[in-house]
Amino acid sequence: MTLQVLPRGKWLGARVKRVEDPRFLTGEAKYLADIVLPGTVHVAFVRSPYGHARIKSIDTSAAKTMPGVLAVFTADDVTALPPLASGLPVEGLQPTPQPVLAKDKVRFVGEAIAAVVAESRYLAEDAAEQVVVDYEPLPAVVDAERAMHPDAPILHEELGTNIVYQKTTTLGDIEGAFAQADRVFRRRLHTNRFVAAPMETRGCLSVYERASGHLTFYSSTQMPHMLRLFLALFLGIPEHKVRVISPEVGGGFGQKMTIYPEEVVVAYLGKVLGRPVKWVEDRRENLAAATHAKEQIIELEAAVRNDGTILGLKARLIGDAGAYSFNTASALIEPLAGAGLMPGVYDIQHYQHEVIAVCTNKAPVGAFRAVGWTAAQTARELFFDEIARELGLDPAELRRRNVIPPERFPYTTCTGMVYDSGTYRESLERALELVGYEELRRRQAELRQQGRYLGVGISLYVEPTAWGSEIALQAGFPFPSHDNATVTIDPSGKVRVAVSVHSHGQGHETTLAQVAAEILGVSIEDVVVEHGDTDRAPWGMGTYASRSAVIGGGMVALAAQEVREKVLRAASRLLEVAPEDLDIQDGTVFVKGAPDRSLSMFQVAFAAYLDNRTRAEGEEPLLSATKFYDPRATYSNGCIVTVCEVDIETGLVQLDKVVAVEDCGTMLNPMIVEGQVMGAIAQGIGGALYEEMAYDESGQLMTDTFVNYLLPSATEVPPLTIEHLESPSPVTIGGIKGIGEGGLLATPASVAGAVLDALAPFDARIERLPLTPERIVEALRSSESR
Amino acid sequence: MATVPITLTVNGQAVRAEVEPRVTLADFLRDELGLTGTKLGCEHGVCGACTVLVDGAAVRSCLILAVQAEGADVLTIEGLAGDGLHPVQEAFWEHHGLQCGFCTPGMVLTAYALLQERPSPSEEEIREALAGNLCRCTGYQNIVVAVRAAAEKLAGAR
Amino acid sequence: MKPPPFDYARPRSLDEALATLAAHGADARPLAGGQSLIPLLSLRLARPSLLVDLSFIPGLASVQAENGTTVLGAMVRQRALERDAQVAQRLPVLAEATRLVGHPPIRNRGTVGGSLAHADPSAEYPALALALDAELVVRSASGERVIPARDFFVDLFTTALAPGELLTAVRIPVPPPGTGWSIQEIARRHGDFALAGATVLLRKASDGTCQHAAIALFGVATRPLRASAAEQALAGRPLTSEAIREAASLAAGWIDEPLSDVHGSAAYRRRMAEVVARRALEEASRRAGA
Repeated sequence: MTLQVLPRGKWLGARVKRVEDPRFLTGEAKYLADIVLPGTVHVAFVRSPYGHARIKSIDTSAAKTMPGVLAVFTADDVTALPPLASGLPVEGLQPTPQPVLAKDKVRFVGEAIAAVVAESRYLAEDAAEQVVVDYEPLPAVVDAERAMHPDAPILHEELGTNIVYQKTTTLGDIEGAFAQADRVFRRRLHTNRFVAAPMETRGCLSVYERASGHLTFYSSTQMPHMLRLFLALFLGIPEHKVRVISPEVGGGFGQKMTIYPEEVVVAYLGKVLGRPVKWVEDRRENLAAATHAKEQIIELEAAVRNDGTILGLKARLIGDAGAYSFNTASALIEPLAGAGLMPGVYDIQHYQHEVIAVCTNKAPVGAFRAVGWTAAQTARELFFDEIARELGLDPAELRRRNVIPPERFPYTTCTGMVYDSGTYRESLERALELVGYEELRRRQAELRQQGRYLGVGISLYVEPTAWGSEIALQAGFPFPSHDNATVTIDPSGKVRVAVSVHSHGQGHETTLAQVAAEILGVSIEDVVVEHGDTDRAPWGMGTYASRSAVIGGGMVALAAQEVREKVLRAASRLLEVAPEDLDIQDGTVFVKGAPDRSLSMFQVAFAAYLDNRTRAEGEEPLLSATKFYDPRATYSNGCIVTVCEVDIETGLVQLDKVVAVEDCGTMLNPMIVEGQVMGAIAQGIGGALYEEMAYDESGQLMTDTFVNYLLPSATEVPPLTIEHLESPSPVTIGGIKGIGEGGLLATPASVAGAVLDALAPFDARIERLPLTPERIVEALRSSESR
Repeated sequence: MATVPITLTVNGQAVRAEVEPRVTLADFLRDELGLTGTKLGCEHGVCGACTVLVDGAAVRSCLILAVQAEGADVLTIEGLAGDGLHPVQEAFWEHHGLQCGFCTPGMVLTAYALLQERPSPSEEEIREALAGNLCRCTGYQNIVVAVRAAAEKLAGAR
Repeated sequence: MKPPPFDYARPRSLDEALATLAAHGADARPLAGGQSLIPLLSLRLARPSLLVDLSFIPGLASVQAENGTTVLGAMVRQRALERDAQVAQRLPVLAEATRLVGHPPIRNRGTVGGSLAHADPSAEYPALALALDAELVVRSASGERVIPARDFFVDLFTTALAPGELLTAVRIPVPPPGTGWSIQEIARRHGDFALAGATVLLRKASDGTCQHAAIALFGVATRPLRASAAEQALAGRPLTSEAIREAASLAAGWIDEPLSDVHGSAAYRRRMAEVVARRALEEASRRAGA
């Protein structure tokens, strides 16, 4: 059996109900905060109330005498811990490491300054209020362009500038393209800073056993093995004596793939205090100090022919990095990833981009579903809408004229991405058909006569997925990949699948069990998937960037295939037929064409473990295999169309519906694919209309509660229609492509596009997201006065 | 601060305890009774993850002090079904109404309270009833579908 | 995010509650439904030394009809009000406004008196109390007084209640049959506090002219406002769309210093005040019997 095409029988591709669900539905599932160990003490962090200030002194004496307080740690108490810095070697990126506790200066509101340890979180918060920090407030800078100005306040004085990266890249003949243009268009878009806001905040629990020197570290993390490695290095504990357990994780979306200062401090506190030390982040901390995302200032310039052909594109992407680049080149991830995907699904050969990363007095940036791509997609799609309007073309038609046609696959973009396959044009046409596009345009014209403003927004996208080493490089980052699965059949015939990818809602215990069950010919009930505990799962990268279906699915398929062959070999000796003449179905190994000559999986496995007859000379008898998989680059695609109505008096937007056509290649479980798409769309709606991390000029964070930081609820998300196209990848095992991010990559452009389409009669211009009612009303007013 | 004695019923069991006045009902359920199915998502009354039923009404347990629950009858997710699953839980399972599971106990209890009051809600009524419970994974659609399916299940069982 | 320490009293009678409040002065705070107070405690934005829980006092949670007046006990839960048949019939604007208060789990706990005494300028009830010319019944250890709604809301989260005083009931004159009503608000999301809101009660004379107009705005200033100039401008005039537009514009102009926050600037709020006032007047006018 080749694994280019996976078998699709009872399990693979079916809408299998998730095996993990009952424990969540009954409240039995244990997340970090739910883990109770005897003797646990609790941490509250003292955090900066200033966006930019010098720390003159810290007085912890009063706090230390408060009831129930064990210790108060400041930077002076953790000198053994190195500052956190990006481990990714990206040429030209200035390092801006973050101390685990601020020492001389604070650079954003929420930066941790001291850790108070007490018998309860209540007491720890009481004592944290008594830590006296003497600050000298400094002028802050919260706008990336202002931060680039020579007289702006500087965050990292040793650099002499806030610009930590600046590079221009020219691809193709950009000057030629602009020389041939009939028209040149420009647009600027400042995308909003918004955040993953997983319903479960961050948290960790450090348990150190002094006698053995073992550290067990529970963390709500997406990357348990990476965390283990770095904790071992930071704390000087040998890696084999560190165990990281990621219990149930209540959502991550990228925010929990970072190793955070708080984690390192709490791990250390556990080691030095000799008691289990627990920190459960509260929502205010999460909004202020967990990584923010997605803010860029993007300027685009396009060389266009009158027929709508885009000849060339220039882009300037300024990433607002926040205060530090403490994880995976974090200052740069937004603009660099955005620059790489700017051409998107369109055939653009001449392209120039300037990528700039700038430090500001805001929380550091990190990964959040479709890093960099959301901003780039939003800027480009809104720009293309505008170009279409200016040229008098339908926005769908402009896209048709520029989209990469199917016969061009594999298609190499000017930025070096190799699109393996896809349904770019087909997804556009199908989405338009589903939404009833022509009829909508008629309706739009009618309603305008009545003073009602309907809008339709189209966002056609390609999504890099399967974050292995190849696609990481194509996307611009030398990010490593190392993942493997171990599939084992126990003597009783039951299957254990241990994987290095991590589930925090994605349902791997179901989808990866489906893969193993299909290949091994057993029921999914006989398969258990283990992940998240470094003592039980093999070393690997964890889950981020839509990698787990492809990488997890692929490595499980490879390992299960090898185990299947072992089962067949063992059974062939027991049944005295050649392995090729055997098949497995429903847990029974049988002779093809003679199903009465059969053995149960139990019988074969039992014999394989305990009956010497099944063992051949020189052959490993173990019914287990460990397989590594680092896939080739593969790209998903789709089209999201939004229909809305705008109240032009109030600026309120009513979403009528969102239609998504997506293509993630071979689907392991369509139900889970749909769940991924719908959840990401809702986040995209949040990003387009509601969510924004707002700072005032002094660096004060204005949105540190869910009263001010607005997540969409069930009344803001309209009915969603999802339809699948399925073009299997020619380069991955089983043709699987990832699905995690497309919804958030593409929805903000679709929603904002719909709003701007509704406002088209007014020539309203918007340069900032989200589209709050006030911004919409303001845009309408300024268009009136033009 | 002096502790206060309280007597209440939780999931059908009588509970007596001494609590500090400032302890929220959510923390009391989680830390004192070990009922960690009640989740804390924001602790300021917006996200709904801590929703429980008090005297039959869905409320946010982070916005009630344990001392206020004197004499109350509290139902948490752990008490919704005996063995197995309640029809609302079954419907969430069948219709993929959960992903990370963190908002799920609050969602399920909110849906249960809605269906107690309004056995056959419209989609709009379902969405309004759920609007005080945030979910970051599902986009709500499958939750709405699940609540409608649960309504049908419960109607069929009557 | 845990509340700071405080003591707790659970009086079983109004007199006991008043005595406790009197003994502790400004450091004590009454605890009604707690839906605004407890988040303030958890965020450590409020630091009372004592909470006096009103939930166990009998007699504070009734809805009563007196001649031409509906009397709501301070501890009537918002959800009970929403479902109350008498309120639905006699004060439909109150029933509708209640559905705009937060979400059902909040209304299950939140109380009428708590919302009025908290005096959030963006809340619906204080504006309704103003528009309906309600009277607030206040008790203290030294007796009872009645404060007209127009004198009750003093400033941002500030009322005419003195330390030791407790709001025990609100008396609402039931508008005569034929009164048109409306409540309109602009909020970012369903259930959010209003960026601008207006509630209107309107009666027409037999010739269709405006006999009585009450317009109250909320979410726009540090306290809810009656737009008196707009009301006067309408009095005796036919309720044409032009008259309504003028009144709405006067109402918006009536705001001295609009609120401004991350969701809406002062300028936006003033503009929206005009929009909601106009829409509320239009709807109330449609509903008003001639």
